[in-house]
Amino acid sequence: MIRPLLICALLALPVAPALASSFAGTSAGASSAGSSGSSGSTSGDDKIVLQARDDAASFVASEGRIRGVQLEAAMHQLRERNPDARQASDMQLAQAILAL
Amino acid sequence: MNLRRRRRPLRTIRSWLALCLLACAGQAQATLQLQPADRSLTPAQAQATRQLLDDAAQRLPPAWADALRKPVSVEWRDDLPAQVHGRAMAQRILLDRALLDAWMARPPQAGIEHPATRAALAAVIHELAHLYDRTPQGRLSRDPRLLDLAGWQVSPMRWGLRTSHNAFSDRSPDRYELDSPVEFVAVNLEYFLLDPAYACRRPALYRYFAAHLRASPTQADCAAGLVYLQADAGAGQSPLLQIDPDRVYAVDYLFAEGNDRAMSRWGHSMLRLVICAPGRARGPDCRLDLQYHRVLSFRAFVDDVQISSWRGLTGSYPSRLFVLPLEQVIDEYTKTELRGLRSLPLKLDPAETAALLERAARLHWSYDGRYYFLSNNCAVETFKLLHDGVPRLAGERLASITPTGLLRRLQRAGIADITVLDDPEQARRLGYYFEPSSAHYQAMFEVAKQSLHLPQSEVQDWLDLAPGERAPWLQRGDLRASAALLLLEQAALRRQELLARDELKRRFLGRGADRSSDDAQALAALQDFLRLEGFLSRPAALLPEGGYGLPQHDERDALTRESSRYAAQWQQQREQLHADARRWLPRQSQATLLATEANIGSLGRRLRELHLEQGGLQL
Repeated sequence: MIRPLLICALLALPVAPALASSFAGTSAGASSAGSSGSSGSTSGDDKIVLQARDDAASFVASEGRIRGVQLEAAMHQLRERNPDARQASDMQLAQAILAL
Repeated sequence: MNLRRRRRPLRTIRSWLALCLLACAGQAQATLQLQPADRSLTPAQAQATRQLLDDAAQRLPPAWADALRKPVSVEWRDDLPAQVHGRAMAQRILLDRALLDAWMARPPQAGIEHPATRAALAAVIHELAHLYDRTPQGRLSRDPRLLDLAGWQVSPMRWGLRTSHNAFSDRSPDRYELDSPVEFVAVNLEYFLLDPAYACRRPALYRYFAAHLRASPTQADCAAGLVYLQADAGAGQSPLLQIDPDRVYAVDYLFAEGNDRAMSRWGHSMLRLVICAPGRARGPDCRLDLQYHRVLSFRAFVDDVQISSWRGLTGSYPSRLFVLPLEQVIDEYTKTELRGLRSLPLKLDPAETAALLERAARLHWSYDGRYYFLSNNCAVETFKLLHDGVPRLAGERLASITPTGLLRRLQRAGIADITVLDDPEQARRLGYYFEPSSAHYQAMFEVAKQSLHLPQSEVQDWLDLAPGERAPWLQRGDLRASAALLLLEQAALRRQELLARDELKRRFLGRGADRSSDDAQALAALQDFLRLEGFLSRPAALLPEGGYGLPQHDERDALTRESSRYAAQWQQQREQLHADARRWLPRQSQATLLATEANIGSLGRRLRELHLEQGGLQL
């Protein structure tokens, strides 16, 4: 018997990107939702900082215990480019990213 | 029997003729003898034939010519079936007379680029390739490595036997090559000797033949790096991605963990390319250049609004190699599907990494396989990519039909390094493990509960509240509690989006769904969107017929133009679809989504205010 199964119920069959997320699916900006800087015009370099927003929230909420690579990457990049960031502690940077 | 397909219909005139010639130039002279079978050629025909055979013999690498020890007689025939250019018998090759006529009709100074020159030389080389392949020195069409490169892939479900079908059918120079390994060798040797672009378009095969024959025919100036088409590059970015293998620091086996749902119990297999940011030297720091990392993921391309498990079992979905930004993959698995990702470095040297990328490019541009749930799924495709791309790995027992099985075997063979997971904290911090967002929901809730004395006891109770009921609490937390609440609010939004998606599917696809004009319009829009996506998921479809293998200079220009056009249209339709989908939802769901988004917005504002109040660092 042919039983049609809907896309989301069938994760073993990974599907094309659009189907996986687009049909009334997750909003594209979910990870930076609530951020004032989540306009579509961000450059690739800003993007890594905006992408770190969830990790920054976990870091702040857990007082530094949960530390994901996206936050690590954003801090690394900020310190490479921004002298203020080099002086700041990890927590200060995470809070700054969260407040973007 | 070896048939040679004719490329153009040509008229034949006379009964068959033959001639004897001693190939008279180059290093091939010593041994290769192409001899007569008949004497009835006119002097002009005899001379033209001599010229053709000399030219062909001159191009043969010495190892090839030396292997053909016995004299070979060459006959011009006009009784070959249509579409057949020649045949190779035991010590005899038969060629279509029309090739000789066309060769003789060329302008006096016609070079290799003239179609008649090319066709006649290709026919002679093709038949000599068959003869060579049958010698003990040849035997290329039985070499497992050749079969890997050509596309008669090993099949884990068949005890390591090979598939009888070659699915590398897109961007083939001559589809006759797909007929059998024997024909593949003959067709490819034609191109190896006659087409300077062969080294650029099929680099791995070029290197294979060059090493085997100890010869290196002229190479064209190849376009730099490898290009791939990204189905979803993000707004404003070119979908055509160029990867320079020198900038790839590592390749990881990227494993999406299974979850409780029966169908995703075995996880998903992918490869992660750790690409360094421009200007950064290849080294461990590249692991943090996340925005440049890409994921190679084999997925079924589902061209319909709903997936049928029957179609999945019987292979009616194409299996395509998608190239995706890592960050998109992280979001999709850890935030939407709530599955963890393990990223385990594979022990490959730089040459092996380059070969693997090249193989991925060949798959990307030429492969048109079928996705089978059981026998040709993501694990099997990933295994074949490793097996065919890196000869060393072909010697390991890696074949597996599940992602967990492949993981275990890679680990056992010492190829995947799982020690990176030993220290969980470091694994998270350096990106060897990506946790599902749900891992900390309860902890986040505890943080908020402690600070705000929330009445709910479990995170689930909190998330089950209507967004309006949560809203007043969101303005009361300190920085820490607000950060925790933000994560929970986002979790609530994703959950509602999934519910909304299900709701729409029930409405549009469910049994007895009522078909209002709105619904018909929605389905039509979705089908149109999928059609567009089909183009972006089959890169070869964007290129005009004619070129083969990896795209070169002109083709890349055309690709940049075409793909940008399709991608822009696709983005636009996707946004439209999002907006429409919202409208099609019941009012209640619309309101819930809006209110949750408003909650997220207000939490964002609160976080900024608190940050400002405490004089925090401004970026």
